[in-house]
Amino acid sequence: MSKKVCFISRHPDYVHDAMRSALGLAVENMYAYCTVLDATVPAFNDYHRENLEWIRDMEGEVYSNIDANVETNELVKISIEELGQKLREMDIIVPYGIVS
Amino acid sequence: MKILHAYRSAPDATTKKLVEIVSEGRETESFDLNVANPDYSKLVDMIFAADQTICWW
Amino acid sequence: MAKSLGIFVSNPNQMRHVMGVTKAAVAKGSKVKVFFSWWGTKLTTTPEFPELCAIPNVDVSICADSYKQSGFDVNVVPKGLTPEKMATQAQHGAIIEDYECYLTL
Repeated sequence: MSKKVCFISRHPDYVHDAMRSALGLAVENMYAYCTVLDATVPAFNDYHRENLEWIRDMEGEVYSNIDANVETNELVKISIEELGQKLREMDIIVPYGIVS
Repeated sequence: MKILHAYRSAPDATTKKLVEIVSEGRETESFDLNVANPDYSKLVDMIFAADQTICWW
Repeated sequence: MAKSLGIFVSNPNQMRHVMGVTKAAVAKGSKVKVFFSWWGTKLTTTPEFPELCAIPNVDVSICADSYKQSGFDVNVVPKGLTPEKMATQAQHGAIIEDYECYLTL
């Protein structure tokens, strides 16, 4: 059975790489998710937007609790409470990198 | 399901909230890495005994 | 009974924990795989990195793309590593699929 993995980034410099890492697991036949938590990221370039689309094509998703990320990069809004519930479904939880 | 929460730094309000939700109704243990000399042998035993380890920031 | 342990490292300030956990696990008879990604690859310059690579029953690899993005020349293999261990995120997948326990640092 495919495992479910969620990366959580709390530093803007780690967001793009969390997405790249998630995509790396998605191609290994896992369900890969990312959450951008309490960090605001500038508009994605084409490469990062493409990674986001690939993650979605492979049944993953990228969430954020920050409205600016939802508006600028079309991430899916999630609250802390909703994230907590989603994490309960995960086989692997990756608090990624460092905190801002 | 037994979950081990390890902490690389002191958990802030966000981390505490996530830990609370993830832990609800489950057996949990915790380990603080943010000390001068962590007991790594004990940590490894706890990792082996847990079904899932989450190492928070 | 010692289980196998995979360690995924993305924080550049965690080398003492990487060493401490790895040595403790190996001392219990565990097989350990450590994969460094993103700024975690900056730890390849620490004196402990070649020491980590030399521990028996420890498989160390890094994300070559992260290494490059962190400012290193991919043609310069970190001391202790071999070129084939300059790898991809598939190594993270291997940790999750093939190892019994998982730790992120």
